[in-house]
Amino acid sequence: MEKKYALYICTGCSIGESVNVEKMSTLAKNALKVPVIKSHFALCGKEGVDLIKNDIATEGVNTLILAACSARVKFEEFDFPGCIVERSPIRELAVWTQEPNSPQAQMAAEDYMRMSVVKAQKGDLPEANKVETVKSILVIGGGISGMKAALEAANYGSQVVLVEKEAKLGGFANSLYKKIPTSEYYKEPLIVDTDIESTIKAVESNPNIKVYKSSKVEKSDGMPGAFDVTISTGETSETIKIGSIVLAAGWKPYDAKKLGHLGYGKLKNVVTNIQFEEIAKKGKILRPSDHRPAKKVAFIQCAGQRDANHLPYCSAMCCATALKQAKYVRQDEDAVAMILYKDIRTPGRLEYYYKEAQNDPGVMLTKCEVKGVTEAAYDNVYIEMKDSLLGDVTVEADLVVLATGMVPATLEDPVLNLGYRQGPGLPDLDLFNGFADSNFICFQYETRRTGIFAAGAVRQPMNMSEAQEDATGAALKAIQSNEHSAVGMAVHPRAWDVTFPDAFMTKCTSCKRCTEECPFGAIDEDEKGTPFYKIGRCRRCGTCMGACPERIVSFKDFHVDMIGSMLKGVSVPDDEDQPRIIVLCCENDAYPAIDTVALQHMKIDPAVRFIQLRCLGSVNLVWIADAFSRGIDGIMMLGCKYGDNYQCHMVKGSELANYRLSKVKETLDKLQLEAERVGLVQIAIDDYGNLPKIITDFVDRIKEIGPNPFKGF
Amino acid sequence: MAEQIVSPDLNFVKEVIAAGADSLKKCYQCSTCTVVCEVTPNNKPFPRKEMLYAQWGMKDQLITNPDIWLCHQCSDCTAFCPRGAKPGEVLGAVRKVTIKEYSGPRFMAELTSNPKYALLLFAIPVAIFLVILGAIGHLDLTAISLNENGVIAFPEFIPDIYVDMIMVPTAGFAALVFLLAITKYWSAMAASAGGVGGGDIVNSITGTLIDIFSHKKFSACGVAKDRKVSHLLVFYSFIGLAITTSLGVFYVYGLKWEMPYPQTNILKLIGNASAVGLLVGMTYMITNRMKNQAKAGLGSYFDWLLIVIIFGTCVTGILAEVIRLAKLPVPAYITYFAHLVFIFVLFAYAPFSKMAHMVYRTTAMVFARHIQRD
Repeated sequence: MEKKYALYICTGCSIGESVNVEKMSTLAKNALKVPVIKSHFALCGKEGVDLIKNDIATEGVNTLILAACSARVKFEEFDFPGCIVERSPIRELAVWTQEPNSPQAQMAAEDYMRMSVVKAQKGDLPEANKVETVKSILVIGGGISGMKAALEAANYGSQVVLVEKEAKLGGFANSLYKKIPTSEYYKEPLIVDTDIESTIKAVESNPNIKVYKSSKVEKSDGMPGAFDVTISTGETSETIKIGSIVLAAGWKPYDAKKLGHLGYGKLKNVVTNIQFEEIAKKGKILRPSDHRPAKKVAFIQCAGQRDANHLPYCSAMCCATALKQAKYVRQDEDAVAMILYKDIRTPGRLEYYYKEAQNDPGVMLTKCEVKGVTEAAYDNVYIEMKDSLLGDVTVEADLVVLATGMVPATLEDPVLNLGYRQGPGLPDLDLFNGFADSNFICFQYETRRTGIFAAGAVRQPMNMSEAQEDATGAALKAIQSNEHSAVGMAVHPRAWDVTFPDAFMTKCTSCKRCTEECPFGAIDEDEKGTPFYKIGRCRRCGTCMGACPERIVSFKDFHVDMIGSMLKGVSVPDDEDQPRIIVLCCENDAYPAIDTVALQHMKIDPAVRFIQLRCLGSVNLVWIADAFSRGIDGIMMLGCKYGDNYQCHMVKGSELANYRLSKVKETLDKLQLEAERVGLVQIAIDDYGNLPKIITDFVDRIKEIGPNPFKGF
Repeated sequence: MAEQIVSPDLNFVKEVIAAGADSLKKCYQCSTCTVVCEVTPNNKPFPRKEMLYAQWGMKDQLITNPDIWLCHQCSDCTAFCPRGAKPGEVLGAVRKVTIKEYSGPRFMAELTSNPKYALLLFAIPVAIFLVILGAIGHLDLTAISLNENGVIAFPEFIPDIYVDMIMVPTAGFAALVFLLAITKYWSAMAASAGGVGGGDIVNSITGTLIDIFSHKKFSACGVAKDRKVSHLLVFYSFIGLAITTSLGVFYVYGLKWEMPYPQTNILKLIGNASAVGLLVGMTYMITNRMKNQAKAGLGSYFDWLLIVIIFGTCVTGILAEVIRLAKLPVPAYITYFAHLVFIFVLFAYAPFSKMAHMVYRTTAMVFARHIQRD
């Protein structure tokens, strides 16, 4: 489209009283050659918006630069479909965080305005990359989580394919004798029928759900909206088009054979909590050794859990399960259940369950460490305790139940069998002990494979109620994923974004840096090793753009040249006491933190200019070289926390930026520029209070190093 | 295996619960109780461990444990318990079970601790005294003559010798039960503690008595700190009444001088002062209990039975005197009769009722002091 520019300067929110709007207009007119320049005392008000709308309608302006407030506010007011809209946040970055009417404030306002004009010049209106998609949902796993997800999606109207590896739906619930009631208040009876059959029936009779039993996912190719999933049922296999996937593959009990120290495998009357369900299911609680009724049943909690030698985590369900199973024991009124625990963990409403179950005089609990389990007469079992309030004593039981923990199905099996260059399973499983979890703390269910959502005990240890809530959430995300895929929009976290990475492939050297570094496996390679995008998998973070040494990756509104040109628009004071520092900041945490600083009217050192990026992963080193050659004194990268406990919305962005930074230092050394002129700071949004000081410290560091020798060239 | 083998006793758990510890199972061992308790020793503090012993039905650990008597039921633990487990009340119930364990014969303990026998407790002395009155032909109260001075005199209604014929053996029985009980209790505690060491028992007794006479432990109480005043009043009034009774015995059998005595007599001075002290103390105690009900719990049947007995003894005693002075013979005799019934109940069931605490607690406190527990 032919761009027709218009600049609108808002004078409200004390902008008009703090900077010289007249001077800004003159600059825009003379130096930046903007044809239409208007100011208004309340641009976001009806009159202001109408002013803009009128210009669009009558003057045909289509590229709007709004020198007003942050793009993070008033986005509904300043939404002009069909127009490029650049928001220049002078209110936050020149007015609220600077001294009003100071030369610094004026210079900042002009710089931000200039950068926005450049950005508008360099950007294009995005057009979605639409491909043919389907909206069906594949659910892997026919346990309570999978069935719930399938039902939720089917009830919404989605076509669902449910794959279960066993011959019967139901998963672990099939092996349970009873379950914990799910009513609002817990009262006797504290054990109720699982009623799993009715859920199985609901799934199998739902016309929107196609069930594959005794089946496995052999391969998942393609991308969200257009996955090609091969399902194998014994001899035959079938490939189906799928829009999105809910991974609800569930869990396995930890291998109790490894719990010899607790008597498992050595003593006949030591069983796991899963085996205990089977025993209870047969009616009376009979001991395995002699089939006599068990009268003194001991439950050893955290058996091989929260234990560095076994499972380091808590499986979340065993405490409530032990209380439930204690009630199985107490169906015989002479029998006692003794629960030996490290801690009872029954969060939320389950605390009431704990209280109710504990009220039974025959349910005895004590905190202790189990020191050892040995054989007693008549196949009974001695459990030696230490650090118990009962003293360092031994309990005699005629049956021992070990609370063995949950191991995710994804620990040893990729389950999904992805046809991705980066591998068949989900990345990062090792961060979560094999669970298909993620550090997307704001977006649970999301995995690092776009369009694939994990739910239930494969994601985190949890109980059946929680698994069903998980399933509902994941089903909703799967539906959302399909809707976005259908219109060529990013699935998440830039869930509004219709831009996509467009690579100028003729210049590609097949270095494969992009295919290796893409956090989401969105880029595969053909037989010749040439990368190609599976756009549906892309989250639009621009990590490939930062990775590419040939700088061939662009988005319509975000590319290497655009940021490079904006950098050139920043003023560089001649005065050697006034350094100029660029802060490249991530839009996810860093930039909102800056906005918050502004909202609090905290002052920020006038030396810095902020440039907002999609992710620090998109930082291309050429920007840094360009900036220094222009006389910029220092560059700070402000991004999310990385490492095992990362907070990066794009998982690897800030980590990659830091890695690349180590490379840039070599280049700087060659230019005889101090490596310390570039720094990366990790910040979370709630650290905003420290931000002014972090920036001042960095500015002081640059001042100490002295001015950039390239200044003035 | 060197360690002790724990065998939970479900029936004992149920017994403790039935004895008034219906909140027992609510405890989740957070230890707030031991932290807030001002009277517990720092080493192996109570009442947390006792809560657990009780939950697990570990009878032996409880009934040989002097700690349950070091507790003065200040109820700070109960007030601060986040689970409403009322450790103070639970220990009260455990003390009751302990008394029942050592004070024989068993049926007497059952009679005293079970609310369904409440009326029977009183019916027994009523029957006894009615039989005596019948035997001496004094059932027609209007026919009772005034004494030689022309005033109402209770010995005219029922001669002292008959009263003492009943009361002295009753008190003797109680004393014997107590003696046997604390002997058993002491050796059980000693066996459990692995011996008592070779300290000076006289010192332990003196020290304990000083503590008791000064009510030192009560001073530490938080929630129920007013109990110190009320209990102190009741305690010293009891001593006053014991002196009064001793003087009475001396007057009747030594001086051959029968009731009533002039109000200026030393016996009357002490007796009346003690009676008023007891009335005030008991009233204060009852109001405190009602006031602290939410924080400390209302108390069990066991607690209230003793309160009723002492309060009844006190009120009937005072009323009998007042009505006698008001020259209303028949009401005076009836009240005196009631007074005798209450005194009988107080004595006869003392080793089985909460009254036993004065002996058990003293024994346990001496024991604890003797083994340097406290």
